[in-house]
Amino acid sequence: MPEPTAITEAEFQKFKEFFYRKTGISFDDSKRYFVDRRLSDRIQATKSEDFRSYFMLLRFQASGEECQLLTNEMTVNETYFFREDHHFDCLVHSILPVITKRKTKGEPIRIWCMPSSSGEEPYSIAITLLERWPGINDWDVEIIASDIDTGILNKARAGLYSERSIRNVPAHLLRKYFIKTGHDYQISRDLREAVEFTRANLAEPLDTRHYREFDVIFCRNLLIYFDDISRRTAADTFFDALHPGGFILLGHSESMSRISPIFNVRRFPEGIVYQKPVPIP
Amino acid sequence: MPLIRPSSHDVASESPPEQAHSLADLTVQLASSDAGARRLAALEMLAHPKASKVLLTHLKEEASATVREAIFTTLARLDDPAALSGLAEFLRSEDANLRNGAIEALKLTPDHTASVVPKLLSDPNSDVRILTISILESLRHPSVEEWLVAVIENDSHLNVCGAALDLLVEVGSPGAAGAVERLKARFPAEPYIQFAANLALKRLKKG
Repeated sequence: MPEPTAITEAEFQKFKEFFYRKTGISFDDSKRYFVDRRLSDRIQATKSEDFRSYFMLLRFQASGEECQLLTNEMTVNETYFFREDHHFDCLVHSILPVITKRKTKGEPIRIWCMPSSSGEEPYSIAITLLERWPGINDWDVEIIASDIDTGILNKARAGLYSERSIRNVPAHLLRKYFIKTGHDYQISRDLREAVEFTRANLAEPLDTRHYREFDVIFCRNLLIYFDDISRRTAADTFFDALHPGGFILLGHSESMSRISPIFNVRRFPEGIVYQKPVPIP
Repeated sequence: MPLIRPSSHDVASESPPEQAHSLADLTVQLASSDAGARRLAALEMLAHPKASKVLLTHLKEEASATVREAIFTTLARLDDPAALSGLAEFLRSEDANLRNGAIEALKLTPDHTASVVPKLLSDPNSDVRILTISILESLRHPSVEEWLVAVIENDSHLNVCGAALDLLVEVGSPGAAGAVERLKARFPAEPYIQFAANLALKRLKKG
């Protein structure tokens, strides 16, 4: 086994700054070991001589392939089905009734999950709508799930999950929407074909320029990894991606009010969500 | 199934990032009558290092709160000397929205904002000095205590010293106690300073 490449403090700082500029993700010193390990692995995998030559590759490779591979390594993707499930109750009982009141028939309801991670969240939304929202018979719904990590997107498209991921899925839904394959469970083909998975970087306005006309955005437990200014950039991106009156749901420890004043706070029985204001005519 | 997959043109599925519009095009877009278009122009100007001047000029006339927020975000992200001094200049504005937006934007870039703090804390306008102290409240920078101590040691304005003292109670260490004692001695006839300084001393000594 080759010796790991030692990363100096100055190199760590240099990388930290570069990665932050590229992705909006900032690593504090407590993540040093995590970052060093992954950098060292990629230095060896690319047969780079040292950090310096690897950093050159990272910055100047025309295809950007290595930067994407490293981003995949650096992002955290731990989630499971029906995580923070009060938001799914909120979607069905509080948000969608408001959305459908304003929408014209024939216009689809659009939901954006960011980050998609390995797909547990968008598939949980799809199952919730099919099982618990009567309006699904009258409205078309589009679910788009995005992530900066292309590796995890492929995993999401494949839809294969361990026992750990499906631990909150009730048995009857497991039977209905999953197929047991060896030790894993695969989400049904119908659901896999119903969700569109795309790569997007929230720190890059040009990357998200086409993400528009959404009614609901799920962005849970992502902004906690961002610093203040990246959170604010993300808030701006979500604002422009939403229809007026559209909603955004954040993780339980996140608050839009501390990030940006451009959304209104909506208190529903199931929890607090944020709404893009509707212009006064 | 009523879940439908959006058509591929709808979202930029793994295509390479688009080319940025030119600064000239975005400047025209920033004058659009559509607030949404102005917001997008302001955010896209991030790709242009020389956009600060255009954004700062536009900010003075912009009526939409959401467009102003987008401009403040881009100025904070551009984080160049022109953006920084332009934002600092808005601390003098009569328009409370502009002042508050500038304060929030300056808080977003602690390292660069730190470079203008000493100058702002010695501004002849006491309101600017008080607003600068409100920036320090959430500026994550190791010199915050040092700056506050310098204010209570040297500033002659009662309200400026009061604001610095209030914040020092929250962020100060026992090492600031001597400066608080000296402040008490500088304003012996001011009941508020005496009260706040006594409270500060109690808290600072607890560590």
